[in-house]
Amino acid sequence: MVGELKSPEELLKERFERVEKAIGLGEPDRVPLIIFTCGDVLRKYATGYELYFNYDRAREASVKFVTEYPVDVFLAALAAEGFIFALAFSNYPDIAPSIRFWTGPMHDALGDKYTKWPGRELPEDSVLQFIGGQFMDVKEYNKLSDDPVAFVNEVIFPRACVNLEKAGSSKANAALIRLGFEASRYLRFLGESAADLAKVGIPSLPLTFAYAPLDFIGDFLRYPTGALIDVRRYPDEVKRACEALVEPIIKVALSLKPAGAKYAFIPLHLNEYLSPKLYNEFYWPTLRKIIVELYEQGIRSLVFFEGWHDPHLETILELPRGWGIAYFEKTDVRKAKKILGGHTCIMGGVPPSLLLEATPDKIEEYVKSLLGEMKPDGGFILSPGVADIPRAVPHENLKALIEAVEKYGRY
Amino acid sequence: MSLEDLIDAFVNLDEEKVLRIVEILLREGKDPTEILEACRRATALIGERFERGEYFLSELVFASEIFNGVMRIVLPELKREVKPTGKIVLGTVQGDIHDIGKNIFKAFAEAAGFRIIDLGVDVPPERFVEAVRTHSPDILGMSGLLTISYESMKKTVEALREAGLRDKVKIIIGGGRVDEYVKRYTGADEWADNAMLGVKKCREMLGLGG
Ligand code: B12
Repeated sequence: MVGELKSPEELLKERFERVEKAIGLGEPDRVPLIIFTCGDVLRKYATGYELYFNYDRAREASVKFVTEYPVDVFLAALAAEGFIFALAFSNYPDIAPSIRFWTGPMHDALGDKYTKWPGRELPEDSVLQFIGGQFMDVKEYNKLSDDPVAFVNEVIFPRACVNLEKAGSSKANAALIRLGFEASRYLRFLGESAADLAKVGIPSLPLTFAYAPLDFIGDFLRYPTGALIDVRRYPDEVKRACEALVEPIIKVALSLKPAGAKYAFIPLHLNEYLSPKLYNEFYWPTLRKIIVELYEQGIRSLVFFEGWHDPHLETILELPRGWGIAYFEKTDVRKAKKILGGHTCIMGGVPPSLLLEATPDKIEEYVKSLLGEMKPDGGFILSPGVADIPRAVPHENLKALIEAVEKYGRY
Repeated sequence: MSLEDLIDAFVNLDEEKVLRIVEILLREGKDPTEILEACRRATALIGERFERGEYFLSELVFASEIFNGVMRIVLPELKREVKPTGKIVLGTVQGDIHDIGKNIFKAFAEAAGFRIIDLGVDVPPERFVEAVRTHSPDILGMSGLLTISYESMKKTVEALREAGLRDKVKIIIGGGRVDEYVKRYTGADEWADNAMLGVKKCREMLGLGG
């Protein structure tokens, strides 16, 4: 293969340009393939405990994966959803990004009740669990809306983190200092991990992070079902809280701009649950505001439309052309292209079950037919749909995926 | 206030009205089993609205909430045991804690007359085996949304086989990321990625028609 003759620097540049071209709605030399993982597939090389608690093992596992399976961008989020911690520090751009994701040792430092970890609450060879919880009473919506940052720091943290129960206590202060130590180790790990990948020719996306306000309420404050029920019982309170969350969320996303961040990753959670009426009233207006504001500030969004987003596809056209990347999970990317083609870069297309159980021939056939429809006119990135790959996926199947993109993805 | 009013309020998700009507009907001496039957009809109608794209998951979550509220009032009033349509042992598989979908399926299956033994979340294979042995259900239902849950489902089916129980129970898997491939991989008998379809398949597996 031609690729093998190129140096890692050349490959790095080529791959990054390929991805950027697709995001810019153009036709690159071939369709890019991006793989995300929350840890499952890396358990081929290390236990869950090692991946989340031992940064060296985590770095090795990522390098092993991309050496075996060279892709255009590889992104391992070996940490839990921790956006609430970033929001709490949104007034401190030097701190906010370092605690956006929640690692095992950070969990040890604060004793948060949001997560459970291998080697702690769970067996060593499992994946981490974000379990969430209901940490806010329905009567507290007004307090949240009046000052989200103060509310999270002063009311929620003492409830959600065992070691922060008593603000100002020696225990709580020690927990925060430990968190600081860990955050700087984690930042170093992220930098080193990106450098490891670059050394073998795999680029990383310069990412920052944002969140949909209603998801923030569902994931960290009221539990997903609680937020959904509140939408019915207390619509005005919920709406006001969503609006109040826009500003601190944007601040978090912009905190990484000086470091060169270009894309804001936004995973959506309650989108699939909502009827178009509720979506357009409670969910989309504040999310749209965030995406548009970031776009105007030079940051495009990588929105992960989790679940089945079909009923809301058209609303994406309300965003400026070229606003970012729409990563779809259960929504058929072909259908999305009919509506969004030429306006939005589309990502996704490979169901995890196909990789798990189909034969290499079937996978090749699937990719061929999919790319036949998705390749023309550019603006498409191929990716497994759920931001992970099952560890049990046979080696030949992953190879078949990579080879099929090479074979049928060329422009 | 009639059973028709109850069905109507339920289908329109008017929680307060549903609970009020149930209280009134019980006070007037209505047979609790008739109230449950009305709820079954209401949830079937809600399911139809979901399939027609008029209702979404948030409506199903809310409908389950209403149904659970009704059950809390009606169950203590039940004087005689109602013969269930069938018995299902249900749980979210090992490593996975997603249970919103499982709970919706549970509410709809209960409304359809199934007796559910709910093992909760992060259920290891041994606990499923134990529950199948103790309760001899007609069906084992496993829920899971993570990619790791495919492996856990497969392990559970294997554990049942090793315990000599695989032939004694039908197995259905559910959760947003199951399909024909996952069914084959895990060795289950059926799969469903929505609650109504799940209930229908459970009825079919027991030879009851859709
Ligand atoms: C809500 C949610 C959560 C909530 C869960 C709350 C709860 N108690 O369930 C919280 C915030 C806690 C959460 C946590 C995490 N999540 Co989550 N979550 C979701 C989300 C947004 C929605 C899931 C959902 O509830 N869907 C709605 C329900 C109603 O649908 P359903 O489950 O399919 O159920 C229907 C049918 O399938 C059927 N059904 C369900 N069960 C059964 C059973 C039987 C027997 C039958 C017949 C039918 C049936 O009936 C239901 C109604 O029709 C999805 C994305 C998505 N949109 O799917 C991610 C998703 C499932 N999560 C994901 C991940 C990664 C996580 C975390 C690991 C995140 C992290 N890094 O910390 C943790 C993992 C925790 C764990 N170990 O399980 C991934 C999983 C993919 C993967 N990588 O494996 C998803 C797919 C998002 C993604 N990245 O693409 N999550």
